[in-house]
Amino acid sequence: MTISVGDKMPTIDLSIMTQDGPGGISTDEIFAGKKVAIFGLPGAFTPTCSAQHLPGFVQNADALKAKGIDSIVCLAVNDVFVMGAWGKDQNVGDAVIMVADGSANFTKATGLELDLTERGLGLRCQRFSMVVDDGEVKSLHIDDGVFEMTSAEAMLSEL
Amino acid sequence: MSISVGDKIPSVQVHVLSDDGPKGISTDEIFAGKTVALFGLPGAFTRTCSAKHLPGFIDHADALKAKGIDQIVCISVNDAFVMGAWGKDRGAGDAVMMVADGSANFTKAAGLDVDMSEKGYGVRCRRFSMLVEDGVVKVLNIDAPGTYELTSAEAMLVGL
Repeated sequence: MTISVGDKMPTIDLSIMTQDGPGGISTDEIFAGKKVAIFGLPGAFTPTCSAQHLPGFVQNADALKAKGIDSIVCLAVNDVFVMGAWGKDQNVGDAVIMVADGSANFTKATGLELDLTERGLGLRCQRFSMVVDDGEVKSLHIDDGVFEMTSAEAMLSEL
Repeated sequence: MSISVGDKIPSVQVHVLSDDGPKGISTDEIFAGKTVALFGLPGAFTRTCSAKHLPGFIDHADALKAKGIDQIVCISVNDAFVMGAWGKDRGAGDAVMMVADGSANFTKAAGLDVDMSEKGYGVRCRRFSMLVEDGVVKVLNIDAPGTYELTSAEAMLVGL
């Protein structure tokens, strides 16, 4: 079942690229005591994500932080090397934490999976955005085949 | 069971990134009537692959083609977008065809799969190289996990 407003974030191990290579990070570390803007998408380097979704959060990072967001997290079912390379390609710098859900543990635990096996992409994550306050989901949007509700701009207008 | 010398390449669907986006292509199309240098690796943008394996085949593309290779193919369990981005990043150009085995259809059919789920990578492909003539495996090398020796372009060149 898909995660809902009011639910607690599941405790899951994820990966991020560090200067020393792949590193582990748990959802507890990401969310505890912070107000986090998290968005997810079907894949690194895909056209809509690359062209709009991630850059929108990079460009609006300061505006989001001015409205009380402590950190911005981008998550996809890609491995940590791909997420690191994509973040570098899109110049995210410190604005957005690029989190790899390589084995889809987070995606499955939150019920946000999207089966793209027939298109050669395997199991992926739906396009979503959430505001999470100290581990509790405060808002949740899911885009189904479109890119509307989950943008940085849409989140800003709600904060 | 892993594929062996003398076996036919399994007939499966894989993908390449075209100007119009991901495009399905069958292994039959890739291998029929051609001598193909095929190599596979655990992941795009990973360190050994990025730093040595793919660039080695790009650098030696002309030498391989001079020795009778019609086509050089890089395959990995990544999607077409990632393989396309990686090829662009490494300047693969026309030298190496970047093939996405996103759902691991080829990797599993060839028995070259390795389960890296615990490390956050899902099912991936072992580091291997093959010489394939008209769809039949003529040479196969597989590198032990964590090593990079037998599957390089340089090693293939020596054997041709």
